[in-house]
Amino acid sequence: MSVYICTVCGYDYDEAAGDPRHGIPPGTRWEDVPADWVCPVCGADKSMFENQGGKAETPAPAPMAAPAGQAAPQQGADAKRLSATASNLARAVQKQHRAGMADLFTQLADFFDGQSSPAGDWQTAADLLKEDLAGRYPAAFAAARADGDRGALRALNWGEKVGKIQANLLKRYNKEGDAAFEGSAFFVCEACGFIFVGEQAPEICPVCKVPRFKFARVGRGASA
Amino acid sequence: MIAVRNIRLCTKDCLCLFVCPTGATNTDNGQIDPDRCLAACRACVDACPSGAISKVPLNYPPQQPKLPGTLQAMNQLLDSRLAQERAADAMLAQAQTAIQRQFAQAMKMSLRVVAEDVLRESGYMLPQGQPARAFLNSLLDSPQPAGFPREAVERLLALLG
Repeated sequence: MSVYICTVCGYDYDEAAGDPRHGIPPGTRWEDVPADWVCPVCGADKSMFENQGGKAETPAPAPMAAPAGQAAPQQGADAKRLSATASNLARAVQKQHRAGMADLFTQLADFFDGQSSPAGDWQTAADLLKEDLAGRYPAAFAAARADGDRGALRALNWGEKVGKIQANLLKRYNKEGDAAFEGSAFFVCEACGFIFVGEQAPEICPVCKVPRFKFARVGRGASA
Repeated sequence: MIAVRNIRLCTKDCLCLFVCPTGATNTDNGQIDPDRCLAACRACVDACPSGAISKVPLNYPPQQPKLPGTLQAMNQLLDSRLAQERAADAMLAQAQTAIQRQFAQAMKMSLRVVAEDVLRESGYMLPQGQPARAFLNSLLDSPQPAGFPREAVERLLALLG
């Protein structure tokens, strides 16, 4: 009997114990767990589990070489970057309890978000995300490790896990359309970006461990 | 330093009202008045039985330095994550059903949190830091589209001192 670990949240599927609460009797071998079974803690699908002890079947991909020289950013991309820079600083001043500055940074973030042009579709996002998980995250982990940058390693750790969940949701949505999320609500962790689909946000975030009240519920209406 | 109250922890025992020498803790919005709070005083922090009050500094030490290799790799991730956010924007604009809208909104929010975290670990952790100030100054120094909130940027730079 083996144990399989969720690479997003660390939940372990023990073949000996199964997951009886979700219809998987004790003693169910990993290959006999149905393909549509998902991690009971974070919702990751079977492909995101790896065998404890041995790394999963797929060997870690070689980090992608960083392209030489950055192309000049397009107008829309540039505005997004300015918006994210400002909204990140808005969060920081909020935490510092400088309410006046938070409003000003938010005003700036909203202005540049309005300047950035929407571009692409879910396929674009899924393709980029796949490249991130295969290349950009491993490359950034390697760089941060070489630099001994613990802050960057922490951000990469969360970002990669959240990326896996995002990729998983895009895959489900691509396959089943709206039916994939029928009757569920979306909850987004405001600290790490983890998305939970279900009736109620988890008690603690499976990725970054903040308590439930740090999750924002995405409303039924036009905006959050 | 200013005292701040965590409303989620406050159990309304009101010791902060009893001990505050300036009345800064006595407000109707639940927060402590930063204009009256004394920098060196921590009477309310020590008196609070629920540990709901802390002193937050107004000045911060610089963020740990970032090296070029990490910065470059983080930058590439950021570009990709923000391009994904633009895709989510497009899907949000085209959404027909409530589920399409919610999914796009959730992805947009999630992608933004991730992008902000990458920026935070690329030198933009503190608004008081040099990269954040350079960011604001560069906005003033380069041509901006109509409607650019110039006064907001100038005010931020003034508040950051």
